[in-house]
Amino acid sequence: MASGIKDKVAIIGMGCTRFGERWDCGPEELIVEAFTEALADAGVEREQIEMAWLGLFFQEQSAGKSALPLSMSLRLPNIPVTRVENMCATGTEALRGAVYAVAAGACDIALAVGVEKLKDTGYAGLPERSKGTFDDLWLPNATAPGAFAQLASAYAAKHQCNPQDLKRAMAHISVKSHANGALNPKAHLRRTITEDQAMNAPMIAAPLGLYDCCGVSDGAACAIVTSVEKAREMGLKDMVTVKAMQLAPSNGLEMSNTAWDGSYLLTTRIAAERAYKEAGITDPRKQLDMTEVHDCFSVTELVVMEDLGLCDEGGAIDAVLDGRFDRDGEVPCQIDGGLKCFGHPIGASGLRMAYEMYLQLLGRAGERQLASPSIGLTHNLGGHPFRNVASVSVFGLHA
Amino acid sequence: MSYGILSFGAYVPALRLSRAAILEAVGWAVPGLRGLAAGERAVANWDEDAVTLAVEAGRDCLRGLDNTVSQLSLASTTLPFSDRSNSGVVADALLLDNPLLTEDLGGSRRAATSALARMARAGEAALLLASECRETRPGSTQEMLYGHGAGALLLGEGKPIAEFVGAASCHEDLVDQYRTAEADFDYALEERWVREEGYLKIVPEVVEQAAREAGIAVTDIDHFVLHGSSATARALAKTLGVEGKRFGDALESNCGDCGCAHPLLMLAGALESARTDAYIMVIGFGQGADAVLLRATPALAGARAGRGLSRTLENKRLSSNYTYFLSLRNQIDIDFGLRSERDNRTALSAFYRKRRDITSMLGGRCSACNTLQFPRAIVCVKCGASDTQAPESLSGLTGRVKSFTEDWLAYTPSPPYIYGNVEFADGANVMLEFTDFTAGQVAVGDPVRLVFRVKDFDHKRHFRRYFWKPAPVIED
Repeated sequence: MASGIKDKVAIIGMGCTRFGERWDCGPEELIVEAFTEALADAGVEREQIEMAWLGLFFQEQSAGKSALPLSMSLRLPNIPVTRVENMCATGTEALRGAVYAVAAGACDIALAVGVEKLKDTGYAGLPERSKGTFDDLWLPNATAPGAFAQLASAYAAKHQCNPQDLKRAMAHISVKSHANGALNPKAHLRRTITEDQAMNAPMIAAPLGLYDCCGVSDGAACAIVTSVEKAREMGLKDMVTVKAMQLAPSNGLEMSNTAWDGSYLLTTRIAAERAYKEAGITDPRKQLDMTEVHDCFSVTELVVMEDLGLCDEGGAIDAVLDGRFDRDGEVPCQIDGGLKCFGHPIGASGLRMAYEMYLQLLGRAGERQLASPSIGLTHNLGGHPFRNVASVSVFGLHA
Repeated sequence: MSYGILSFGAYVPALRLSRAAILEAVGWAVPGLRGLAAGERAVANWDEDAVTLAVEAGRDCLRGLDNTVSQLSLASTTLPFSDRSNSGVVADALLLDNPLLTEDLGGSRRAATSALARMARAGEAALLLASECRETRPGSTQEMLYGHGAGALLLGEGKPIAEFVGAASCHEDLVDQYRTAEADFDYALEERWVREEGYLKIVPEVVEQAAREAGIAVTDIDHFVLHGSSATARALAKTLGVEGKRFGDALESNCGDCGCAHPLLMLAGALESARTDAYIMVIGFGQGADAVLLRATPALAGARAGRGLSRTLENKRLSSNYTYFLSLRNQIDIDFGLRSERDNRTALSAFYRKRRDITSMLGGRCSACNTLQFPRAIVCVKCGASDTQAPESLSGLTGRVKSFTEDWLAYTPSPPYIYGNVEFADGANVMLEFTDFTAGQVAVGDPVRLVFRVKDFDHKRHFRRYFWKPAPVIED
C-alpha cells in the first residue's frame, strides 16, 4: 500500500522574481533571478543539486523546448533536467517531479524551476495556439476569459442567483486580491481597486469585466527540495514539508456528457479529495490556515471555494461577501495577491503559490504575514472548465 | 408513378440590410440609387458562402424525407472552390451516402434552370441545389438589387408535387452582364436594352415552345417564375398576352436577386400557393433562356408544411449598419487586431480521417450504455466500453444551451464571439461556436438548432474549413 508523499520531502530554499511586464528580461534572466534567491536561501552549493525539473508552457514564443533552457541558463553541470508541461499546473508539475525524485531516493537534492515569458506576444491576454489538428477543425477559438465566464452563466442558472449578486461577489474577490497584492513588492499589480471599479469595468467576456481577469505577466519561481532526513542533517529545525501533491486531469466527461452541469470544476473536487486524504485533512475549513487558488478569473476562485469544501455548494456568494476568504477571514485566500495581481506566467504560477506558502509558514511574509499559519493549500487549474488539469497541493510546517 | 418535383426547399440568410442604409452611406456619391432604396436585401453572414447556403436549402428540401439520393447537382456562379468538389462538401453535410454522383454546375445565371431542363428531359433523379453569394461593389446598383440565397428541388420518379410537362432552351450571346474569372464583381449593361432586345425577344420563343410541347396555350399558364425585375415581368406579360399578376413576386422588396438560385427560390414561392393542376412556367434568362413547364399535383398541398420560402423569409434580423455589411462581405478591411492574425492552417490528412465527424457532425452512440457523444471515440466517455460506438449525426438535433459567453477578446468577424456548452439528447454535450446570434440574445436553457457554416478562413492558403454551429431555432 503506497503511503503517499506526506512529510517525506522538505523545501529548503525558494526564490521568486518580481512578476510583471519585464521588458528588460528574457526567460534566461528570469530563471537566474529566481534561482539565485533560492540557492542563497537553501544554503547549498549549486554543485549539490543533482536533478532538475523545468516547467514551461508556451515554448514556441519564449525559451524553446526540452531541458536546454534551464540547463543552459544556469550552466548546470550536465545533470538530468526534464522539462514538463501540464497547462496551468505546469509549475506545480515541475515541483512534483523534483519532490518525487527525492522521495524515491533517486537523489538527495533536486531543483524545480517554473518560468514563462508572456509579454513578447505583442498583445494583451494569452497567445492563441493550435489545439491540435483535429480539435482545430471543430472547437471554438475560445479565449481563457470566455471559457471561464461560462462558469458564471452555468452557476447562476443552477443556483438561481441574481446575476448582480454574483457579479458583486466576483468584484469582492478582485478587490480583496488587489488589497493583498498592494502589500507585496513582488506582485505585478500593486494598486487597490474599489468594488465600483470592478463592477463597472469594460466587458472582456460576459460577465467577466477587466478586473475579473488576472494579469498577464512575466515571471519565474524556483524551489530546492531534499528529504526530511537530509534536511535534518543540514541542521534545519522548523521546516516546510510537502503534505500532499495530487493531480486530476479531465477524461472528456465534462466536454462530452451532460453529467457535468458546467457550474463547478469536477477535477478540482477529485484532486482535493485525494490531497486531503494524503495530507490527513478531514475538515478543510478548520484545518487549513490559508489557500492560494487558481484565480485566473474571479469566478474561478468563487466556485473553487466550493470545490475545495471551504464553503457549501451554492453558498460561495454569501461566503465571499461575508469576507470568509479575506485576509482577516476564516481561511484567507490569495494572501500574496494571487494570479489577480501576480499575473499568470503559466509555468511559474504553481511555484509562485508554493513560494507564498513557504514564506507564510516560516513567518517571512513581511507586511502581509498571517498569524502563525501551519498548513496551507495551493491549487491550479490548467485548461478550461470543460476540459482541464487540476492540481491540489498541501504544504505545512514539520517539527 | 410519374416524373417531376418530389420536394422543394429554400434558404435566405437571416440577416437583411435595409436599402435605405445603403443609400444613406453612399448616396452622397451615387444619388441615383435613391429610386432603389426601398425594402431590404438578404446578406450572407461572414460564415456563409454558396456551399453553406446550398446546404440549408438542401436540408429544407429533404426535411422529413429519407436521404436516398443518387445524384447531387449544385448550381452556382460563386462556389468557393474552383477545384475541389463543392457539391461533395454539401453531400457530406446533407448525410448523402455513396453511391452518389456529385457535380458542380456554373458559368451562367441559367446554371440551375438549364440543369432543371436537362434533368426533366432525361428523367434524371437528382437533388438540384442552386446557391448564390455574389459580392457587389459599394455604391453599385447590384449592391442594392442583389441578395444571397439558395433553392432546392428533389427530382425523380414517384409521387411528384409537380409533374414535368415541357421544356425548351435557346442560346443567344446577348451580353447583358458578365463576370470574368479575374473580376470580383458583375459588369452590367443598360436595363432597357436588355429588356427590349433580350427578355422580350428571346423569352417568348422558349415559353411558346415549351407550352406547345405540353399541348397547352401560353394563356393556360397560371404562374410564371421569371428571373428578372418586376418591370421586365410586366413588359413580358404584355408581350405574351397574359395578366401581369400571374408573374410571381420577384422578391425585390425582401430578399434581392439571388442569381442562378433565384428561379428556384421564386419557384418555391409559387409552390406555396399553386392550386392542384396549376401550370407553372420557370424561366431562366442570361445569354439565352430556359423555360420549364410544370403542373401541380394533389400531392403538393401535403408537402408544404415546415419548409419553403415564406418560412425562411420570415426568419430575419434586420440591420441598418452599412459598414457591418461591408465588413461581413470583406469589402472593407476593419483592423481586428493582432488576434486576427492566427494561422488557421488545416491538416488535410487529419481532416480526411475525420471528414465525416466534421462535415456530417457524426458523433458516436455507445451500444453498451446508449450514450451519444461528440467527438466519437474508441472508449465510451460514460461507461468506458471500447469499440462500441456506432456513428450517428448530431446535425439534426435540437440542443439546449448549458453555458455560454459573449467574448469581446477573441477574434471573430462579427463580435462578440459567442460560444458555449450545448446539451443534446442521450447525454451528449459539445462546446460550440454560435452563429446568427447578437449580444444579449442567448440565455442558458434556450433551444438551438445546428447549421453548417465556415468555421475558419485560412487567408494564407486560400482555404476555408466548415463545421456546425448552434443558431436560433426557427419558430413554425
